[in-house]
Amino acid sequence: MTIEPVMPKCWRVDTKPHKFCPGCGHGLVLKALGEAIDELGIQDRVVFGCDIGCSLLAWDFFNLDTVQTHHGRTLPVITGLKRANPDLIGVAYMGDGGGYSIGAQHLVSSATRNEKITAILVNNTQYGMTGGQMAPTTMPGQKTETSPYGRDPETTGTPTQGPEMVSTITAEGAYVARGSVFNMRQLKTFIQKALENQMAGRGYSFVEALSLCPTNWRTNAEETWNMVNKVMPEYFKVGELKVPADMGGR
Amino acid sequence: MNFFSSIAPGKGPRTISQRIVEAYIGEYAGGKSEVALNRALDLVGEGRQVTLVDLDIVEPCYTLRPIKRLLEERGVSVLAWETKDTVGLGEAGTVLKADARWALRREGDVILDIGYGVEGSKTLSLLEGAQTEKNLRVLAVINVSRPMTATLEDIVDHVRGMMPVHGLINNTHLGDETTSEVVQAGAGLVEEAARVLGLPVVATTAVGPVARSIGPQDAWGHPVRTLTRFMPQAFW
Amino acid sequence: MADKPIGGEKRVFMTGNEVVAYGALAAGADIMYGYPITPQNEIMHYWTRMVPKYGKRFLQTEDELSAGFTTIGGVMAGKKAFTATAGPGNVLMQEPMSMAEAMRLPTVTVVQQRGGPSTATVIYSQQEVTLTTMGGNGEGLRIVYSTATHQELFDYTIKAFNTAWKYRFPTFILGDGYQAKMRESLTLYDPADRHIEMIAPEAFVGKPGMPGVDRPPAQYRNTYSMEEELAEVLAKNIGEYEAIADEISEYEEIGTEGADLVIVAHGVVSRAAKLAVRDLAEEGIRVGYFRPITLRPLPVAKIRELAGQAKTFLVVESAYGQLARLIMEAAFGNTVKIVPLYKPGVGVTAEEVITRVKELVGRST
Repeated sequence: MTIEPVMPKCWRVDTKPHKFCPGCGHGLVLKALGEAIDELGIQDRVVFGCDIGCSLLAWDFFNLDTVQTHHGRTLPVITGLKRANPDLIGVAYMGDGGGYSIGAQHLVSSATRNEKITAILVNNTQYGMTGGQMAPTTMPGQKTETSPYGRDPETTGTPTQGPEMVSTITAEGAYVARGSVFNMRQLKTFIQKALENQMAGRGYSFVEALSLCPTNWRTNAEETWNMVNKVMPEYFKVGELKVPADMGGR
Repeated sequence: MNFFSSIAPGKGPRTISQRIVEAYIGEYAGGKSEVALNRALDLVGEGRQVTLVDLDIVEPCYTLRPIKRLLEERGVSVLAWETKDTVGLGEAGTVLKADARWALRREGDVILDIGYGVEGSKTLSLLEGAQTEKNLRVLAVINVSRPMTATLEDIVDHVRGMMPVHGLINNTHLGDETTSEVVQAGAGLVEEAARVLGLPVVATTAVGPVARSIGPQDAWGHPVRTLTRFMPQAFW
Repeated sequence: MADKPIGGEKRVFMTGNEVVAYGALAAGADIMYGYPITPQNEIMHYWTRMVPKYGKRFLQTEDELSAGFTTIGGVMAGKKAFTATAGPGNVLMQEPMSMAEAMRLPTVTVVQQRGGPSTATVIYSQQEVTLTTMGGNGEGLRIVYSTATHQELFDYTIKAFNTAWKYRFPTFILGDGYQAKMRESLTLYDPADRHIEMIAPEAFVGKPGMPGVDRPPAQYRNTYSMEEELAEVLAKNIGEYEAIADEISEYEEIGTEGADLVIVAHGVVSRAAKLAVRDLAEEGIRVGYFRPITLRPLPVAKIRELAGQAKTFLVVESAYGQLARLIMEAAFGNTVKIVPLYKPGVGVTAEEVITRVKELVGRST
């Protein structure tokens, strides 16, 4: 007897098993996103944008209209789509490199304009796809291909605090949170609220998801969970940072 | 200590306790894949059951993937992606194949081609059962003609940075310009490094004509393994 | 910390990207700015490992725009600064390189061409010729070396720093994904041992002395109010560029004397062309071979000479006419026929060249 895994309704079954590495966090984040889309019943309105990098492997993941953009350009493409057709639900999906490095200016601009889109940023502390280079969220001392002796905050800065920045520069009406694949129920709730915020037209919604990359971390299962549950939260606080008043925020 | 003298050829599928499990690690472009796949072919030639695993997760260029079929036709089971099943290779394709994680659960010998990377042999963490596999031997492949591993000090530091390592392999060569002198000089330096590290030199590897001109052992008594070049076909 | 990175000549076996890193080291480069993009990442991986060993510097920037502009900052500070990129990164690099052109800044950029346009493949192409030679919003006052072997990657990386600092035009080494990843033997050397004098960099800003008191303030701009001002600046820069063109343009030719058909190729494709010429000669089919090494400035005089003698140029490239356009412009006015062998984004083998030549000369394979 084979047991079919329970998949969100909006997932494309024929592209499963997916192409992400075993143990990758993307599958989990996309599951949370899928469940949220199912529950809100918006499968026919969502346009899903993905970046270059591991998020690119999500281009045929869903039964959703999808566009894979250039590196760091998912936000402006989804912004453009939404501006042209406000009935769409625009979801910009990217990694920590696409969002905080090459796409940072777009993050700042779209947030400052309070664009009515939802950005989901997967944070696994390095550039996975190209073989594990340093990323804005690489933690101090962490070894990567371009920080072979460990990241030195003196010369390369400290890990980017994305949701903190976005909550500061957005106006009232924005929803900003940081979740983790370690707590899937909470992550799904955050993503769902983010999408609801867009549907209500209140403002920008941004969710960073602490995620896994055992392949580039070179960690076994136990070490991987330890990384996302114990180590990363030292630098990246999980929780809601900004909630519109209409959603119960202060 | 010669690991391979304990193997009796042609005895068919091995029990778990007698099987050969080797992980080939080392510097970028040092020859790990070529040495690993030749080892797999040699073992198949002895009548053994062998699985060869592509664990190159840094860059998908010059990995086992493009020659998977070629090797399978020669009797090796290969755990690697089919290129056509990947998406956006290199931009979105340095992905670990699920089967590779469970390679040690396979019967028979397992030869692991561990790609390069700043964390050296830590890639083995990704392998289920690597911690408890009694037969696992990690072998560092060294080509002294490469600037990063050209001096005694550099080789020693390089291997120390990748510990645990159980043995060294001298794969010194200059591509088409390789002569037996080049290989022997490399063997000498690798032997020196091995003594400093307290590790054995497991073998010296060389392509056919060069291997023949050296003989069954190099000048330091290390066994010479003949390589047949497959990797030039394995570009992307 | 090691003193001299490369002491004495040494025959080694490396990948192209590593060769670039060692070439930069041998040239006395001080600092690299870069952003990850396949297939040039190993240049950064190796440079970052050299940083503590040889007292070098490195910054991974937020993107290629920044990599280009930080390289500009580096050269203006009087350091031998370089960067490397490919594909979409090269597209972004054009903005800072336009500024470098305008302000005569000695940047060194290594481009490892990949399939295009857009993300395409990370593997290989010769599709960034137009971009690298003429990509900015100016007149392409740049120097571009198209290498074909690892030895050349080493030699020309060293040369690029000298060319940049001597003539003050942004200088490029145009490689490709094949060269970047292929493994080959070459000889590493210290330029001093070969009597290659490395030109010392000079600071544009930050020189000693109080500006306005001890020395004039060093003030640079790239904006002009009136057409006439711009015309004057351009005339000067274009004049200086044209004056050095003959001195620095380079090419390679084999058997072009009296040849009706000349195979024209650059970069790694020229290796296939060379092999084809040799194999064809063994079959009694004599064709010539011409390879521009500098794509900017192109060896125009030589091209015109060959265009006047030969009946046909067979232009072979892994692009859709990017090299051909350069050749056609240079050869304009001559009646030589330009015949294409275009394989955009795909490698070309000697066999394919041989087959095409045989078709052209009316021989059966």
